[in-house]
Amino acid sequence: MSTASTSSTLENAIFVQDITKRYGDFTAVDHVHFEVKRGEIFSLLGPNGAGKTTIIRMILDILRPDDGQIQVLGGVLTDATKDRVGYLPEERGLYKNVKVLEMLVYLGQLKGMSAHDARLRAVDLLEHLGLSDNVKSKISQLSKGMQQKVQFIATILHKPELLIIDEPFSGLDPVNTQLIQDLLYEMKAEGVTIVMSTHQMHQVEEMADRLLMINKGQRVLYGPVKEVRQTYAQNAVIVEGEGNWATVPGVKEVQAGRNGHEAKLMLAPGFKPDDVMQILASRQDYAVRRFELAVPSLNEIFIQVVGGNGSRAEARFADVRAAD
Amino acid sequence: MNFHKSWIVARREYWVNFRSPGFLFMAFVFPLMILGLMFFVTQFLIKRESNTDNFKKVGYVDYAGIIQRDVEAPKGYFVLDVPEVDSEAYIEQQLEDHKVDAVFVIAANYTLTGQVDLYSQKSIPEALKEDFDTFLSDNLVAQGSNLKVPSDRLVEPFDPVFRTLDSDKRQSEAALIGRFLLPTIFVFVFFIATSTTSQFMMGGVVEEKENRLMEILASSVRPIELLMGKLLGLSGLAFTQITFWLMTGAVIALTTEQGRDFFSGAEFQVGDIVLMIILFILDFILMAAIMLAIGAAVTAESESRQAAGFIGLVAVLPLAANALFFTNPNGPIPILMSFFPMTSPVAIIMRIGLTSVPAWQIAISMVFLVATTVGVVWLAAVVFRLGMLMYGKVLTPRLLWQALRENQSTPVVKVLPE
Repeated sequence: MSTASTSSTLENAIFVQDITKRYGDFTAVDHVHFEVKRGEIFSLLGPNGAGKTTIIRMILDILRPDDGQIQVLGGVLTDATKDRVGYLPEERGLYKNVKVLEMLVYLGQLKGMSAHDARLRAVDLLEHLGLSDNVKSKISQLSKGMQQKVQFIATILHKPELLIIDEPFSGLDPVNTQLIQDLLYEMKAEGVTIVMSTHQMHQVEEMADRLLMINKGQRVLYGPVKEVRQTYAQNAVIVEGEGNWATVPGVKEVQAGRNGHEAKLMLAPGFKPDDVMQILASRQDYAVRRFELAVPSLNEIFIQVVGGNGSRAEARFADVRAAD
Repeated sequence: MNFHKSWIVARREYWVNFRSPGFLFMAFVFPLMILGLMFFVTQFLIKRESNTDNFKKVGYVDYAGIIQRDVEAPKGYFVLDVPEVDSEAYIEQQLEDHKVDAVFVIAANYTLTGQVDLYSQKSIPEALKEDFDTFLSDNLVAQGSNLKVPSDRLVEPFDPVFRTLDSDKRQSEAALIGRFLLPTIFVFVFFIATSTTSQFMMGGVVEEKENRLMEILASSVRPIELLMGKLLGLSGLAFTQITFWLMTGAVIALTTEQGRDFFSGAEFQVGDIVLMIILFILDFILMAAIMLAIGAAVTAESESRQAAGFIGLVAVLPLAANALFFTNPNGPIPILMSFFPMTSPVAIIMRIGLTSVPAWQIAISMVFLVATTVGVVWLAAVVFRLGMLMYGKVLTPRLLWQALRENQSTPVVKVLPE
C-alpha cells in the first residue's frame, strides 16, 4: 500500500474503490467510488433500486463486489472490524417472542460484548430512550415506534466507531425522530462516523456533512452538501414583501413562490443577487421582509438529477468543483 | 471462523427452544401422556383380566374323565349335563338363556392333545382360565400314576420356551419381545427427537428471515458461524430430549421384573451403542441441514412445513415398512434402505436389533451417509447464504443451480430490496 493510500485509509472510515456488483445481466452497482471521512455524517441518496443497499451490504461483507475494493476502519473488513461497526438495515426486525433485554444482550454478545456489559449498557440506553418500563416486555408487546427504538439500541449497544443506518427515521413520530437525531449528534460529537441512507431530504440537508447520490447503480452526485446545493443554485433570489417585483432592474421574470407570499425573481445575465439587493434597499416603493438566494432544496436537486440525466449532473458538479 | 460466536448462537438456540411450549410438550408432557395412557390401559386390562364377577355360573363337560369327585371345584362351577347329540347347540342355547356364563369342554383326547374348548358370549378374563387351569391340574395330580404324563407338566401345562436362532440362547417371552421392540422404540424416540428439533431449526431460520433479522445477524456473524451454532444448540436439544425419554422409560421399565426381562432381550454390544450414537449425530445433522436449507429457501413457515413434511415421510419409511424388517431383516428392501442416506440410520438401528448386520453393509452405509451429510451441509450453507436475504422470494432449485454454476455469492434475481 502506498503512503498516499495509507494516509487516506487512516483518514477515512470507509474507502470504496471502483466497486461493481452484477446479478447476471443486471448491474446493480457500476464502478462506484467514494470515501467516508472519520467523524462525519455521510448520506447515501438515491431512488428505490438505485443500488444503495447493495453498496451497504458490500461494505459490510454480506455481499462481495465483483470488482473493486472496500476498506473499512483502516483495512479489509474482518471479524474484529465487524464488532466495531453498527448496522441498522432498512429491512429490519426483531425476535417477536423474546424479552427486550434478553434480545439486546444476545445481539450485544454477537458484537463481542460480555453479557454483563451488554446488560448494563442496554438498560442504560433503554432508560435514555424512554423504554425503562419495557425492559422485561416481549418485543411483540411493543408498539411499532418502540420496536424501532429497540432496534436502534441494538445497533449502537456495542459503541460502534462506524454506524451505518438505512432509513433510521422511518416509522418514528416527530418526538422520537428528534430523540434519535439528538443521539446521532451526540455520537458524532464523540467521533463516531455515521453513514445514513435515507429518502428524507430535509434530514440530509440538516444533518449530513457530505453526500453520495447514486442512480441506476452509478454515482451521480458526490461531495459536501452545501457545495452540491450551491452548484444547483440558479441566478435567482427569493423575496417576500411589497412592491412590483417585475419592474426591478435586472429581473427578467417573476415566479410565484411556494407559500403564496414569496416571489422568485429570475435575474437577467450580468446581474448578481447583490446588485438587486442594493437596488431594492435604495428604493422607497419596495418593502422587503425577506431576501435570500434561491438555493434549491436537496429534494429539488434529487428530482432534477434522478428525473434527468444522472451522468451529466455528476459531470456538471465535477466541472464546477474543478473550476473552484 | 469464530467459535465463540457459534457458541453464543448455540446457547441461545438451546435455551430459547428448550423454553418453547412446543419442545416442553414434546419432551416432557408427551411422554408423560404416553406413560399415563399406558398406566391406565394396564390398570384397565389387569382389572378386566382378574375380574370374574360376570362368571358366577361356570359349567364344565368332562369327556376325558379327568375330573375327580373328591377334588373341590371353584365356587360356581358345576357339571353341565349335555345330550350326546347336538351338544354344541345345547351349550349355545344354555348361554343364550343365561343359564350359564361359560362352559369348559374337556375333549375326550385331552391327555394326548391338551384340548379344552371354552364357550362364552362374553370376553373371557385370564383369571377364569387360570381358575380352571388350576382346577384341571389339581384333578390330574389327584389321578397320580394312573396318567401317562409327568406331574410337573400337569401342574404347569403351558411353559413356552423361546430360543433365538442366532445364539440358541433361551429367552423369556418378554425378553424376546424386547429384542424385537427395543430397537423400534429407540428408532421412534430417535425419529421424534430428530424431526422435532430439526423443525425448530427450520422454524428459527424462517422466523429470522420473515422478521428481517437475518441481515442484522449477518452483519455480526458469518453464515457458517450462525449455521454451526444452530446445529450445535439444536443437537444438544435433541440429545436432551432423547436422554430424558430413554432414561424415564428405562427407570420405569427397570422397576418391574417384566421390564427388566424386556430390556434383557436387547443384546446391544458397546460397539452397537457407539454406532447408534454416531448414526444419531449424522442423521440429526443431515436432517437439520436439509431443514435449514428449506427454511432459508422459502418465504413463509407454511411453505416450509409442506417441504418438511415430505422429508419426514422419506425418513420414516423404515418404520412404515417395519413388517419387512421383522420378517426378513436381511431382505433386499431393508438392505437398500440401509444404504440410502435418508433412511439408513433408522434402517441400520432397526436391523441391529433383529439380526447380525454384516460389517461391509455398515461400512457402505456409513460412507454414503457421511458423504451425503458433508455434501448437504455444504449445500445448506450455500442456500443459507443465498436465501437469507431474499425476502418475499423463493430460492428455487433453478436459481440455486444458476448461482452455483456462475459461482456467485448471490443468485440472479433483481428482487433484492433497495
